[in-house]
Amino acid sequence: MGKMISFALNGNKMAVEVKDHWTLLHLLREELGLLGTKEGCGSGECGACTVIVDGMAVNSCLFPGLEIAEKDVVTIEGLTSPDGTLHPLQKSFVENGGIQCGYCTPGMIMSAKALLDESPNATEEEIKHSLAGNICRCTGYVQIIDSIKSISEGGVEEVHVVAWKNKEKDE
Amino acid sequence: MKQFAYLVPRSLDEAISFHEAHGDRAKYVAGGTDVLVKIKEGKILPDYLISLKHILGQDRPLLNQETGELYIGSFVTHRMIEKSAIVRIHYPILHDAIRNIGSVQIRNVATIGGNLVNAVPSADGAIPLITLDATANIQGPKGERSVDLARFFLGPGLCDLERSEILIEIVVPPLLLRTGSAYIKFGRREAMELPMLGVGVLLSLGESSVTCVKARICLGVAAPTPIRALEAEAFLVGKPIDGGTLEKAGKIAAKESRVRDSIRGVAWYRREMVGVLVKRMGLKCMERIKKLAQ
Amino acid sequence: MQDLKAVGKRIPKIDAVDKATGRVEYIQDIKLAGMLHGKILYSKYPHARIVNIDTSKAKQLTGVRAILTGKDIPEIKFGVYKDNRPLKTGKVRSYRDEVAAVAAIDPEIAQEALSLIKVTYEALPGIFDPEAAMKEDAPLVHEEHKTNILKMPWKLHYGDVETAKKETAYMVENRFSTTWVTHCCLGTSGAIAQFDNTNNLTIYTNTQIPSLAQKDFLSALKAMGLRDKRVRVIKPCIGGGFGSKLDTYAYEYLSILLAFHTRKPVKIVFGREEEFFATSTRQPTIMDVAQGCDKNGKLLFRDISMVLDNGAYTSWGATTPSVMMMPITSLYRVPNVRYEAMCVYTNNTYSQAMRGYGNPQATFAIESSMDMLAETSGFDPMELRRINANQAGDVSPQDFQITTCGLDQCIDEVEKRLGKKTPKEKGVGVGFASLIHVGGGARVYKSDGCGTIIKMDDYGKINLFTGATDMGQGADNMVAQIVAEELGLDVADVHVIHSDTDVCPWDVGAHASRTTFVAGNSALGAAKKIKARIFDMASKQLEAPPEILVMANRMVMVKEDPKKRLEIGKLLRKFHFSTNGEMLMAEYFYDPENENLGRDFKGNTSMTYTFGTHGARVKVDEETGKVQILKYVAAHDIGRAINPILLEGQVYGGVMMGIGYALTEQIIHEKGEIMNPNFRDYKILTIKDVVPIEAPVFETFDKDGPYGAKGIGEPGCVPTAPAIANAIYDAIGVRIKDLPITPERVLTAIKAKKKLES
Repeated sequence: MGKMISFALNGNKMAVEVKDHWTLLHLLREELGLLGTKEGCGSGECGACTVIVDGMAVNSCLFPGLEIAEKDVVTIEGLTSPDGTLHPLQKSFVENGGIQCGYCTPGMIMSAKALLDESPNATEEEIKHSLAGNICRCTGYVQIIDSIKSISEGGVEEVHVVAWKNKEKDE
Repeated sequence: MKQFAYLVPRSLDEAISFHEAHGDRAKYVAGGTDVLVKIKEGKILPDYLISLKHILGQDRPLLNQETGELYIGSFVTHRMIEKSAIVRIHYPILHDAIRNIGSVQIRNVATIGGNLVNAVPSADGAIPLITLDATANIQGPKGERSVDLARFFLGPGLCDLERSEILIEIVVPPLLLRTGSAYIKFGRREAMELPMLGVGVLLSLGESSVTCVKARICLGVAAPTPIRALEAEAFLVGKPIDGGTLEKAGKIAAKESRVRDSIRGVAWYRREMVGVLVKRMGLKCMERIKKLAQ
Repeated sequence: MQDLKAVGKRIPKIDAVDKATGRVEYIQDIKLAGMLHGKILYSKYPHARIVNIDTSKAKQLTGVRAILTGKDIPEIKFGVYKDNRPLKTGKVRSYRDEVAAVAAIDPEIAQEALSLIKVTYEALPGIFDPEAAMKEDAPLVHEEHKTNILKMPWKLHYGDVETAKKETAYMVENRFSTTWVTHCCLGTSGAIAQFDNTNNLTIYTNTQIPSLAQKDFLSALKAMGLRDKRVRVIKPCIGGGFGSKLDTYAYEYLSILLAFHTRKPVKIVFGREEEFFATSTRQPTIMDVAQGCDKNGKLLFRDISMVLDNGAYTSWGATTPSVMMMPITSLYRVPNVRYEAMCVYTNNTYSQAMRGYGNPQATFAIESSMDMLAETSGFDPMELRRINANQAGDVSPQDFQITTCGLDQCIDEVEKRLGKKTPKEKGVGVGFASLIHVGGGARVYKSDGCGTIIKMDDYGKINLFTGATDMGQGADNMVAQIVAEELGLDVADVHVIHSDTDVCPWDVGAHASRTTFVAGNSALGAAKKIKARIFDMASKQLEAPPEILVMANRMVMVKEDPKKRLEIGKLLRKFHFSTNGEMLMAEYFYDPENENLGRDFKGNTSMTYTFGTHGARVKVDEETGKVQILKYVAAHDIGRAINPILLEGQVYGGVMMGIGYALTEQIIHEKGEIMNPNFRDYKILTIKDVVPIEAPVFETFDKDGPYGAKGIGEPGCVPTAPAIANAIYDAIGVRIKDLPITPERVLTAIKAKKKLES
């Protein structure tokens, strides 16, 4: 069973036939071929599938596909400008070590975007509260927090590491 | 995943008639964050999901200025409650609980009604509302009825809803003056927890701001359903509230709890934590009363 | 080399932009034409005889293309002990035992087919406790093995422990235990196998060992009667490794078998629950530890014996004692050492490699015990460590040659940053623990090598084919930075191609924190060959001897007279497009001069060793038993930071994983069944659990490391648990000897202490 619905995907108007039991994640990945959104658990516990619907971060793995009718959906693919310019969050994650294996990254960035769209000056505490549903195993989150903070607080970067040296032996 | 038809009624009457038409093959769904997980896991296999998302007039917690009652539509999302200034300021216990349910992504779509009708022993939404003496308004084929939320939960996964009935609204009665309330979700990490224990406490003080005139203690995961620690509540009423009385109340509440061993925690520890956390939440209530007075 | 342009710089990960834009392909994202989807049916019992498998109904389901059971497949043996089969026949030995596999046109149909397969079992008594499994009358997990105790003699004795025990002034003796934890890679496991018309295999798989996996799959093909075939292993981008992908798994063989039977590409990708129960864990341990020192605090002996729950099959978990030996013999100077470990079959899940490879378990016991020895002997815990700290030039009892060692400095730095212990707030304490880990490769196989091929094009750009496997840690950056530095190029001029056995040279795998050292040296060797060729060419053009040339800013020039220079691309084109033209290519295979462990387990297994000290300041809630970490410091001697951003990322990630190991994470088993196969009940830490971490780095410039670097992949999670356990003791005087340190355990210990005091 399916229904024709229209919605905006990354700013582009779409009309698509959506089967009743499809999740938004299924629609994006399997039907529309947008593979940037990942599935990490399928049960709303890891946040890898996070996309933004009408300004709100949601787990697309648990979001009924039909519920995007007449709504705005933004995925990781919609963040980069057509000329390739990265969204400031993407750039910041790249530059601050917020990415290792990268599997959590699209969801992480989408959660961060939903937060900063609403509170551009989010504090570290708000960042932690808003990204609690995005699991990362690689980074220990420290550089993810750095990546978001460097934008939310006007580019203030906290240096966590002080490297020091001993007897410079190399010539 | 099991295939199903997704029905989108535009009114409660229509939703109820859809459900009556399909009976046990149908399941109401609001945010879907629990229902879809259950379908994926094969725990339920409905042929029809009846979406309650598009039934209007249920979009934020509302305070009735005349009666002092707080109305929360069943289809209000957790995120709306989390962001509600009324809730944050006047019903901090609800704010405490709601802001730590799931993640932002879950709270953006999951509804308070969904949390309640799931009727899990750990329902973070239920504990504070029972502590606040809330009532559930229900609509069904036979019309409307109300039930005290404390009596709404019948067992794990089981609540007082007849076939085709819908929980439509929660009503919180006006608070007494000098009331403080607090909730703690006790778990092993700082977020994304199903609690090992949930403890909600509400205290109202008399004019002297010393003696307790009303006490509510509600425990989650301490029994198959949320329970009130009635003896501990009774113990507190009429007594001056300090660390010592709260400690005693905690111990009484611990005895009243019917905790058990599970993979999420062992009974002896849970029981002991009931004592500790009732005391701590009681103290937090006192702090909040003081803060309100200032 | 003082003025480095690429090495030591905070250069973003090469693949980060593709990852940030959702453009990289993981196994989940790969679709091949005509691809089928495979699913696996697992055992319903921890130990049972398979009486019958009826697949008739499932076969009739529309869309099903193949169903395999143990009877349908040849004898493919895999695992360290070759005791595992892709599909079980006769009996099942654990809940994760594979009983049947289905290929269908979509995953839903494959799943439905599984539900239609009827397996009749006859339950057998299970054995879930390794110590009970060692008893004579215990049910046997593998009858043909005659005993549940694996015939792997992990046993060493250096010096004379018995005599040392008599001479010791202070001694402590305790039992510690650790439980199962798991990797929690965000991207779940998966593979796609595809045969060509003449039965050559291409397999896309999540692996950390493309070259060794190729060998395993070739053996499988041989067992299938396919001799003299080619196997191409392609590792797509993987969503985390942490050791989980160091072995080949049943699902990989099943994708191969299903592809062979259907003549179509077959993809098997795990769901999250499957990832929890059907992949392997870190090795659980029971550890008896005795240590003693003389009246001056000098360690005299260390005597350790362990029992390891091997689970039902044997993967790398069973060999973790080979790495546990490292801290046991060589963390601090200890002249007399005895160690014995027994691995015992049970009907539990089996273990694998996981970040640290036994070191976190052993170090938890050793470093907890060190603090207890400090208390018994009256020494300050840090003082005791300083007295016994390893020093450059040492040769440890296991014959490890310590070339560089910043342990003293790490101890000092952590102590400085955490402050002295007193005066202290109630319930607050600090604790420390150190680590040694291989930092210069680890010769586990006959070769510890890695190959590199560099191809330079007419424009001075490089294609670098490395054996190294990137799994997010940044191996590709590391080799690119080293090559760019050596050849005076931009990092962007170096395109790194990895993880494809048809294209890339051999490498033993991404394990043992070896990639920076071994793949780095390999890349450096290839770059040096290229450089020599370029100098040769340029020497003729510039009429200057090669010895006085340098490369910088994409130029080759005379060092003392930089105006005499040539643009590299121009030079290359000149040599390419001339009579007897030349192209610039070089290969280099670097195999370090480290040694395999001998029969006595002695041998310099690594070219150099990484050292570090961690410290934690904790606050313990004495009513709830909850532990809060107020500050965490992790100092490491890493030789040289090739890329500080990536280095910090390894340390932060390791520390948070270590904190989870210490406090919250555990796979809960009940009679062999995993009770918490999800992120809800398996308590991996969230961003809200992040604690303030400082990660100072100490550079000792190892003479053998590429630009002086040592490995740092694993150390971040090695001494975390003992540092926290020691801090808890400092805070409230209770010693927790079992991981994880749950609030229940802390509260129980507090009660026991109070009872004792009253």
